[in-house]
Amino acid sequence: MKSAKWLSLLLCTGLALSAAGCGSSGNNDQQGASSAPGSTTESSAPEEGGAKPELRMLNIWSKDDYNSYPVAKVIEEQTGYKVKYEMLPADKAMDKLNLLISSAEPYDVITIGGDKAVYTDYAKMGALVDLTPLLDQYGEHIKAAVSEESLEAMKVDGKIYAIPNRSSEFAAMSLLIRQDWLDKLGLAVPTTTDELTEVLKVFKEKDPGGTGDKGAPMTIDGSIPMIPNLTGSFGISHGWDILDDKLVSTPQNPGFKEYLTYVADLYKQGLLDKEFAVNKDATVKEKFTSGRAGVIPLGWYDIPMIADALAQNLPDAKYTYIPALKGKDGKQGLGMGGGFDRITFVPKASKHPEDAVKWMNAKLEKETFKLISIGEENKHYTFKDGVYSPILPIFTDERGLAVNYLTGVDEQNYPIYWQARVQKDQRLFEAFNYLNNELPAEARVAEPLAMAPTLPEFSKNNAALGQMVNDFAVKVIVGEESVDAVEAFVGKYNAAGGEASYKEVNDWYSASAAK
Amino acid sequence: MNKRTKGDLLLDISVYLFLIVLALVMLLPLANVFSKSVSEEWAIISGKVGILPIGFQLDTLKEVVSSAMFLRAFGISVGVTVVGTVLSIILTALTAYPLSKRNLPGISFLMVLFIFTMLFSGGLIPSYLLMRELHLINNLWVLILPGMISVFNMLVIKSYYESLPEALEESARIDGAKTYTVLFRIILPLSMPVLATIALFYAVGYWNDYFGPMIYINDTALKTLQLYLQDVVMDASAANVTNKSVDDLMNMSPEGIRAATVVASTVPILCVYPFVQKYFIKGVLIGSVKG
Repeated sequence: MKSAKWLSLLLCTGLALSAAGCGSSGNNDQQGASSAPGSTTESSAPEEGGAKPELRMLNIWSKDDYNSYPVAKVIEEQTGYKVKYEMLPADKAMDKLNLLISSAEPYDVITIGGDKAVYTDYAKMGALVDLTPLLDQYGEHIKAAVSEESLEAMKVDGKIYAIPNRSSEFAAMSLLIRQDWLDKLGLAVPTTTDELTEVLKVFKEKDPGGTGDKGAPMTIDGSIPMIPNLTGSFGISHGWDILDDKLVSTPQNPGFKEYLTYVADLYKQGLLDKEFAVNKDATVKEKFTSGRAGVIPLGWYDIPMIADALAQNLPDAKYTYIPALKGKDGKQGLGMGGGFDRITFVPKASKHPEDAVKWMNAKLEKETFKLISIGEENKHYTFKDGVYSPILPIFTDERGLAVNYLTGVDEQNYPIYWQARVQKDQRLFEAFNYLNNELPAEARVAEPLAMAPTLPEFSKNNAALGQMVNDFAVKVIVGEESVDAVEAFVGKYNAAGGEASYKEVNDWYSASAAK
Repeated sequence: MNKRTKGDLLLDISVYLFLIVLALVMLLPLANVFSKSVSEEWAIISGKVGILPIGFQLDTLKEVVSSAMFLRAFGISVGVTVVGTVLSIILTALTAYPLSKRNLPGISFLMVLFIFTMLFSGGLIPSYLLMRELHLINNLWVLILPGMISVFNMLVIKSYYESLPEALEESARIDGAKTYTVLFRIILPLSMPVLATIALFYAVGYWNDYFGPMIYINDTALKTLQLYLQDVVMDASAANVTNKSVDDLMNMSPEGIRAATVVASTVPILCVYPFVQKYFIKGVLIGSVKG
């Protein structure tokens, strides 16, 4: 069993090797032995001959070893660079990174999650190589693939120190409801907040799950009292929303009080799980899949897991996403993700900064990028009617973790390629497709701060302020504080850095709007 | 013997009850993790798995145990533990012996030097830089060399030596034994219980060491089992999940895999324990000195 698995892995690697060897792309001459990598297709390569140095790359944690995952081989063949990959731990990754940066460990390339603040600190400390001249010299593919706007967001004091992976914009979370409960009681899927209340009331009275007192019509994760989708009905879709041409944070938004009033009322009527405050993500899923809750917030990426569990526990159960609920004045909105999910930079300690840029540049050559991110046509994926569909299981085995190898993405094409990942499971795709294609465009709200540069006040306070808002919201919902405490809370919030963030965020916003 | 009174009986019962509850408190979480590792994923998601597995299967465990990263990490941890323990126990026993002799020249100064290291350390970054200058970063020796002698363990062995009757050593010397003979033929054999106990301390320490590898080992190929385990388990912790991108969320290991990793890395050391334990109980000194 064990050896068979290894054999097949070996075989796959072999196949990938041989297939790449006779690839049809235009960069065949790059695939020569690594001893003769001189004649690359890039006209900009200044020095001829001389072996390419081995690069050292530090990356975020991955469940498979970077060095042996098939993508590493593909990149080596395509770029001619041998790369030694190392990774940060899953826990306390930033502490470890600080240690490595401050002791000047000679990595050539470092990729971290999309935390702009961390990266800006390093740039300001002088720990990073200024990539601006290197990009002009060796970065033609990078410049073609990564938009001006994205690079602009990476600028620190006017210089580019990093190449970002822009994340595709889509709505990830919404409220999931038991369709079979609705059917049983002859109800329609709610479309407004009032209808949601009605549905929850009937759920409570009629108890379609037959759980007696043990269940609750709706349950949520105690650490996320700002319920996705529902907040949108009150004009809150992100931490910061646009209101009258200004960016306001959640407590500064007048919708905050209305939202809390609404949810506190649900709680008082027993329509929201009495135990929600101590629920964890796993508890919420547990309650839904065991039939003890009828409505939960869920990301589409969790759908297959939930569907499997439901199918086993309650074979008749059906689930469906609630559309973006409309509030009293017609407000609605599912927040879309956005911004950057990876940032790649070259530390000052690098021994080969130029080669690092050349390597990243070679990876962003159009065909190479496609090969790295989704593989080969008819081997890893099929392409039909503009849609990329994965061939399973080889797609997951050889490209499932490809995202970890990307240092900058082809921003035009990657969102299209990317959907192949969603196509690997029909249920996953349906959920994704519903939230992002079937619902009208106005149901989704883009993250206003996605392309913002690092804002020091904002990044300093953001996490603590967010926690403050959540704690306060839980207190109001369970009735420990009345909704009238909101005004006093806003005062505290502003004093704790909310005011300073507001000024900074809006200075940037009005400046960027003026452009 | 005296007849047992009611009070004795009551005490016995409450002691047994207490110990049973204590044992359950420790065993139940373990049983739960074990059940999760052999249950089907759907049952774990819906919170059905308690003490007994639901939908028994061994695929998850097989997948973990056959994973290259797990096997490599396991091998490295075993290697570090065995080599580290053997070296540590030899060096600690040898260091403790001269220090147990009051007539060693400069003994109080030497003791101060040792105690000093117990109280003060260089700090994280200086230590890291030192290890780097010694070319020990990404080198498995870094997990063994810096902590090879634990001063605390050394003091335990030293006081054990001191508790041995002076007469033993004197009689050996009268029979013509020199220092090394005394140490290896008389003192060390008599110290087996303490050496075995300390060896177990070292072994568990090396096996459980998480911080050292996290700081000094960057190379994926050299990760120890604890580091691997920590990564797998922490990957899904709430704090880490909130700043993950959707791609990362889609790639997250299911709960079953995490449970199986925990099981596969704990069961082996659990199996070793009973075999070492007998040394704790053995009394050796009885009867060595007559009179």
